[in-house]
Amino acid sequence: MEKDRIAELIRGLSTDFEVIGPVAKGDDFVFASIADPEDLRLDYDTTLLPAKKYFLPPSEELMSFSVTDGEASATAVPAGRRVLFGLHSCDLNALMLMDNVFLGGYEDPYYRSRRESTLIVGIGCTPSGTCFCNAWGTDEVHWGFDIFLTDLEDRYFVSVRSVEGAELLDSHVETRAINDADTADYQRVIRAFKASFTQQLDTAQLPLLLDAKFDDPVWEELGERCLSCGACSMVCPTCYCFDVKDRLSPDGTEGSRVRSWDSCQFSEFAEVAHGHNFRGSRPSRVKYRYYHKQWGYLSKFERVLCVGCARCERACKAGIDPRTVIAALQSGGDE
Amino acid sequence: MRDTAQAYRKLKANPYLPWSARITSITELTDTEKLFEFRLIDDDVRDAFDFDAGQFVELSIFGVGEAPISISSAPSKQGFIELCVRDSGDVTGALHAMHCGDIVGLRGPFGRGFPFDEMKGHDVLLVAGGLGIAPLKSLINHIHDERHSFGKVTILYGSRNPGEVLFRRQFDMWRHREDFELIMTVDHPDETWDGEVGLVTGLFGRIEVDSQRTYGAICGPPVMYRYVIDEMRKKQMDVDRIYVSFERRMKCGIGKCGHCGVGHQYACVDGPVFNYWEAMNLQEAI
Repeated sequence: MEKDRIAELIRGLSTDFEVIGPVAKGDDFVFASIADPEDLRLDYDTTLLPAKKYFLPPSEELMSFSVTDGEASATAVPAGRRVLFGLHSCDLNALMLMDNVFLGGYEDPYYRSRRESTLIVGIGCTPSGTCFCNAWGTDEVHWGFDIFLTDLEDRYFVSVRSVEGAELLDSHVETRAINDADTADYQRVIRAFKASFTQQLDTAQLPLLLDAKFDDPVWEELGERCLSCGACSMVCPTCYCFDVKDRLSPDGTEGSRVRSWDSCQFSEFAEVAHGHNFRGSRPSRVKYRYYHKQWGYLSKFERVLCVGCARCERACKAGIDPRTVIAALQSGGDE
Repeated sequence: MRDTAQAYRKLKANPYLPWSARITSITELTDTEKLFEFRLIDDDVRDAFDFDAGQFVELSIFGVGEAPISISSAPSKQGFIELCVRDSGDVTGALHAMHCGDIVGLRGPFGRGFPFDEMKGHDVLLVAGGLGIAPLKSLINHIHDERHSFGKVTILYGSRNPGEVLFRRQFDMWRHREDFELIMTVDHPDETWDGEVGLVTGLFGRIEVDSQRTYGAICGPPVMYRYVIDEMRKKQMDVDRIYVSFERRMKCGIGKCGHCGVGHQYACVDGPVFNYWEAMNLQEAI
């Protein structure tokens, strides 16, 4: 696909879909609704918040109820169809990790509904200097998108993964079959991409090290620095924890049950009714976040719950980030 | 005849949506605990509501919120669900203010309960501390209802003082039964108390355990587990035949909200009942 066709594609998509993509906001980028194709910034490095907000909104009504009748009815997810345009492979992988949680076991009907009404167009990226998706293999993505674009300078190499993706292309933009020159250019781009990572993270045997070093003083040090602000969880594309609260109408006769993003870093996260707090100390909470991401989730789904996007590193005011935590776990054992 | 598959689908369609249930009976057990009996109003849902001893429900008081509560009645008691609830938070406080005939929301059953079928044909040693009797009561009653399938059944139950002993009337009736060895103890006796005095772990000297054929089941305050497990291990009981039930904060009950993380597992879907081999491999569990 020729590069200058993007605006045409976005305009075409806008007739049937709300198109969402990266746009500039101050010095940063955010995912937002695209009104004008010119606003789309496919050259973005990363966004402040990940795309999870479109599947697990920061706050979402699950049901409305009548207090007087004691009856509840599920709240329907808004019906509109969306295209998320321009997700990097880290964020695509993150969505698949979220799918394991919300579509596996007890299926989450709200997440399912949003996921089904959203098409996804991925795009290749340039490592930002802090990100480390290469450590987890999340620098590659093989499914979880409808279309994926790889920038070959004057054109895009287009991978199509779904019927819907093929139909979108067919109806809105001119493409052509790949030739040998396209494949060669694609290989060149991918090699350059792989070579451009500045971070090399040692991830060997992290679950075992987390157990072996469970009482390591490093957790006390990190806990001392942590502000328990939860920013790491909010900006994380794979943090899915939520709180559920009831809201009442002014007269108290009806209300709604709402879930909202929560964080295991908040002090009351593991506190039970009569006051016992299973993770009352900051070190225990900082440790739990890594323990769950690197071992808890892995024990269920064979993948770590991190895609190396480094958003948490940018967000943390206390200088705590996966690279330094993992490096601390790996320290020792030298000759 | 009702279509059970359809009823089951109805029960599972939206795991966040509670089903209306009517309070059919309220029994005051102590100053802070009441036993509530509920009947699910929807016929299909009530029929499809099958559970194991040790599983829990999410109790909804609309406008206040939800709380996870373990089921106290036995699966053998069909059509009704009993919850033994301490007045200790917003939801449980609101429930305590309710009356017979009032409507609440229930969803579940959730979690992994005790391995009842696996325990059949064996001796069972149940140890409860305080409100920990609530989930064990389901197992005790289920064993009671299928008593012929079990060997020796021993119940050790510790409370802080006689006023806090739960299900005291029923247990008093069981005192002279020869098919249950029931020993109750309190930390601080009063003039009404003719049972044992001291910690529940002190009762282990009085009981005989056949380590080859005994399953253990423990539930109590967090501090209790380590000491009771030590006593069971001294009796040579196998690590994978000692079962513990954990209380953790929960919101969803279905492995999504993340609150009940214990080690690398979630108490709501992987537990709340774990065997000791599993529990000893869960960081900060015991």
